[in-house]
Amino acid sequence: MKNRLKVLRAERNWSQQQLADLLEVSRQSVNAIETGRYDPSLPLAFRIAEVFDLAIEEIFQREA
Amino acid sequence: MTNANRPGGSVPLWAGLTFASFGAVMGLALSDAIDSTTAMILLIVPAALFFQTMRAANRAADNRGPCSAKGEAQQRYIKRVMVFSSAYLVAIALQVSLLSDSDPSMAARVALALLPAFAIIGVFWAIGRLIVEEQDEFLRMLIVRQALIATGFALAAATLWGFLESTGVVVHLDAYWWAVAWFFGQFVGAVANRISYGTWGAL
Repeated sequence: MKNRLKVLRAERNWSQQQLADLLEVSRQSVNAIETGRYDPSLPLAFRIAEVFDLAIEEIFQREA
Repeated sequence: MTNANRPGGSVPLWAGLTFASFGAVMGLALSDAIDSTTAMILLIVPAALFFQTMRAANRAADNRGPCSAKGEAQQRYIKRVMVFSSAYLVAIALQVSLLSDSDPSMAARVALALLPAFAIIGVFWAIGRLIVEEQDEFLRMLIVRQALIATGFALAAATLWGFLESTGVVVHLDAYWWAVAWFFGQFVGAVANRISYGTWGAL
């Protein structure tokens, strides 16, 4: 699964740690999701969408 | 960036020392240079070095962020492991002093054998509680993955050794060595996590 997490985070000028604090997860989690090594669960994907105030499908897309 | 790199740079050193000390203890034990009780006491050294390896690895990972304290679940895990490790050392010390000085009753021998066993089982319990209590799903997945790799490693080692032993190729090993193999497997699991997910995990 692809995601726009890194771009969205950069647009808001947040560090990985700041985003991790907002999501109440570790910085390693944010890094693993950003780099595509880990796909978050649905509850965490919803939390990410809430933090960015976007729909899940605006952040995560299926690989072409 | 220099500061960030410094703690990470110590990870291979600690990992190498862990491997070397584990290999040395195993070599001494298998060659009968030291008895099994001495080996069990000396295994505290690679265990402590492994702990230090993980701390250095986590420090290196955390250094990119301004504040990245360990989660509450991990802090509780560390405290529990320290308690059980201390209990293990006390139990082994009791075993050595009481078994060598006298010929205790069967009940006392059972108690002396069970004390270190329960201390080790306590560490297994602590890992189980960490899996239950860890709120970060990614870290929880890494811990489970690491434990599964360790289980596979220990079972494979026990199976191989068992068949080699039954054909007289290798010497007899007491069964508690498979718990030791499982802890060594945790190290293998941490390396696998690092390769697959870019982080050593939380154990």
